[in-house]
Amino acid sequence: MKDLKHLYYFEKLLEDSYNDLCRQAQAEGKKAIGHVCFQIPEPLLNLPGCFSTRLRAPRTGSIEMGTYYMSSTLCEACRAYLERALEGGFNFLDCILAPDACAQMNRCVENIEKLGTNPKETFFVTYADVPMKSDETALKHYVKQMRIRVLEPLQKNFGVDISDAALRKAVEEQNEISRLITAIGDYRKCDNPVITGYEFAVLCLATYCCPKYLIKEKLQETLEELKTRKSDTPNKYRIRVVVVGSEVDDPEFIKLAEECGALVVADRYCFGSLPGRQVIELNDEEDILTQICRTYLQWGKCPRFFNQDKIFERRDYVDQLAKEYHADGLIYEQIKFCDYWGYERASAFHVMQEEYGWPVLSVDRPYSVRSSGQLRTRIQAFVERVEMKKIAEKKAERRAN
Amino acid sequence: MGKEYGSEPLGKVLYSGRRPRRRREWRGFRDTWYDYTRWLYYLSVLARFMMKPNNFKGFFRYRWMSNYLAVPDFMDRHTEGLRGTALRLAHEGIGLIVIDMTLSLTDMFKADPEIGNDTELSKKMVIFDENMMSTIMGGFRNLKWVSYEVPAIYASSFMCQEGVMHYVDKTHEYGVPTDVCPMPAAELGAAIDDDLPKIGACAVQCNTTCDGSLMGGGLMARSMGIPTFQLASPIRHRQESVQEYAGEEILNAIHFIEEQTGEKFDWDYLFENMARFNDETKEFLEWLEINKTPYPQLLGATLGFYRYGEYMAAGGRSPLFLETSKKITKLATEAYRNKEMACKEYRHRAILWGVQAAYYTAFPNWLMNCWGIVPINDMLCCVSTEMVSTTDKHQALLDLGYLYENMIMRSRSNGGYETGVEDLFRICEQMNADMVIMYVHIGCKSMAGYHGLFEEEARKRGIHWIWVNHNLMVPYDGTRRDMRTEVNRYMRTILKEEPVDPSLEDFDDSLCW
Repeated sequence: MKDLKHLYYFEKLLEDSYNDLCRQAQAEGKKAIGHVCFQIPEPLLNLPGCFSTRLRAPRTGSIEMGTYYMSSTLCEACRAYLERALEGGFNFLDCILAPDACAQMNRCVENIEKLGTNPKETFFVTYADVPMKSDETALKHYVKQMRIRVLEPLQKNFGVDISDAALRKAVEEQNEISRLITAIGDYRKCDNPVITGYEFAVLCLATYCCPKYLIKEKLQETLEELKTRKSDTPNKYRIRVVVVGSEVDDPEFIKLAEECGALVVADRYCFGSLPGRQVIELNDEEDILTQICRTYLQWGKCPRFFNQDKIFERRDYVDQLAKEYHADGLIYEQIKFCDYWGYERASAFHVMQEEYGWPVLSVDRPYSVRSSGQLRTRIQAFVERVEMKKIAEKKAERRAN
Repeated sequence: MGKEYGSEPLGKVLYSGRRPRRRREWRGFRDTWYDYTRWLYYLSVLARFMMKPNNFKGFFRYRWMSNYLAVPDFMDRHTEGLRGTALRLAHEGIGLIVIDMTLSLTDMFKADPEIGNDTELSKKMVIFDENMMSTIMGGFRNLKWVSYEVPAIYASSFMCQEGVMHYVDKTHEYGVPTDVCPMPAAELGAAIDDDLPKIGACAVQCNTTCDGSLMGGGLMARSMGIPTFQLASPIRHRQESVQEYAGEEILNAIHFIEEQTGEKFDWDYLFENMARFNDETKEFLEWLEINKTPYPQLLGATLGFYRYGEYMAAGGRSPLFLETSKKITKLATEAYRNKEMACKEYRHRAILWGVQAAYYTAFPNWLMNCWGIVPINDMLCCVSTEMVSTTDKHQALLDLGYLYENMIMRSRSNGGYETGVEDLFRICEQMNADMVIMYVHIGCKSMAGYHGLFEEEARKRGIHWIWVNHNLMVPYDGTRRDMRTEVNRYMRTILKEEPVDPSLEDFDDSLCW
């Protein structure tokens, strides 16, 4: 396919945490809010006068300092973020608003704070206690935490407007982006999509890392472009997959899968669009913050939600996505040393295969995957396995007819 | 050979390089006689336990039961080198845990459909996570608290160092990565291997120690076949703003148990039990006060095991624990007045931080006997010492919520820098400690995340810091000998010291229980 007009632009933005758009927004007087997890609703971080950027460590090389401070048995993403902070890569941030969602990311943020990596005098960090269940008791707690650990510190430290009107505005801004991303992502449902999984991952990732109002125009243009874009014929991909798992903050992983012949049609991973880039519906009856928190609690598909209803919901959701996006198989991935996804991946490998009937590839991976020949081999083998299955099914169908 | 500390080179006279010991330790007539009679008593407890048909069947039904053959050896390991009051404190404290365990197993086997099949008893049982406090069961007069993971996995690993390796392997075969904590992995392995009893009216699970433990519980719920409730205790447990939620979750758990069992929560019964629990806490605080002095009494494994049993399992419901606690306080106070010691020399006062190796719980005894390092407090004992209200229901819920947030291990692995790092150095100051033995449990991400900060803080304060690597229930990843070697190296190369008992510096116990 012909390259998307703005793909290179978005790729360049993702090469650095402190990218041109973050610089531009700061030059306009906005505060840069760092965040590390889906559990802090993004609209709360994008109130007037602020923009959110999710921590990443693009082009990571050595993580020796991160490893010294956090030991070699912790998640590489967390170590890489700390390394980047020690290098000064997050010096532009005005604060980090973190949930205590997983121990490893919490330790990463605590190290960033305690080691005094950020030179700004007004820099601060808060830690919110976010629920591990999705019932009404949990919601009440969640709302309280978001108020005292996110909204009030923003108001106190930076004078940010946290009124209902400001929250509504932030939700609407995110909804605009979500509508665009959803419309773009919907093309992946087509038989021979006009957008690849890699391209979509780049666009989606940019929405997490750049000020939203500054990328809206280019996303709109991209959507327009897709309406007339011609896909390659014949289709060069051998199978269609849903990728499920922990953080994929580097589209190289998706590129690697697609180079092996597995078109990534749905992204149910941290930094993905499913869930996270749907519209937040607000009504006039209930408190705005409660509505936002309820939406995020319902969206939450992280394995840290440990009540049985959520466990079943996660599996059903992946099954539903695979059907909706006409996938042939599932790739469950995790960054090595992630406890949550280590267990989730192991159980999904059995459950999604035996109870839902999907072929599953279960892999753990390093943070930086560019040079992983092992991962490439495993995905290639999976592609062959699913392809063989498809051929066998077609043959059986023909015989039956 | 005699009644004095260090009268025998323990490394030579006890360890043969094979599973059994060369011989029993000679501690002088009086102490040897006491120790021997206690040893015979444990044998008689085990014999009486095995004479019950259900227990006999249970022994052959469950693979993990074979670990309990090592109970007498387990007691020997944890009394190694001890004399006088220290020996008696160890037998009083750890011995009670052993007896309590046999009672719990007897009930489990009686209710087990494959053994005693007492369905009425089974319907009265509520299954709890292994690392979860039993305290809320103090409000259910007619129900029984059961945590079958404790005898199957947790205590099994204490008894025999390779006792749960089979279950860890099962979990890895299932597909769980090998880098997760072996404890939830072993528990899940036992469930996968169908080696846990199918008992209970319902189960309550909790986000106890760590992310791995929580996830293991989620998968285990599949195999339990009974309704399960997940109690979500807040993680940032030092924040005032989370306490209300903690209390509400306790109430939700109580309602769940009421619904599933038809039993009504009895507040009077709870208050009665909490009064006892508070008294136990007061006794514990006395022990800590004694340990702050130059003559600490309740040390290492004795303190750790007893506190686990009393705080987590008994939860104020058993009068026997309070009686024993009072007896311990009396013995310890007298010993303090008499300036009794628990080993030959007191060279360093150490805090044990991080998670201890389940396969080497006698490590603190070795520290005392070999190097004169006195383990005066242990991270697992640094739990809540707040009193629980015995008059106000709302306050009692908040207090219980706080207790559950501060379960053993969880109180330090969760809660952030303040609980994991700052508190350690505060405790060092309070207890006059000059050394930290930092257990590096390879699968534990909570403490590993502070690696660099620990070192920097210790250096700043001039605290000797010894890293000791292990893998909790997988001795192959860091053997007992490896653990000792790390201390030996530090003591010789950094502190230039000679061991108190050179025979203990290096010996082979790889084949021991």
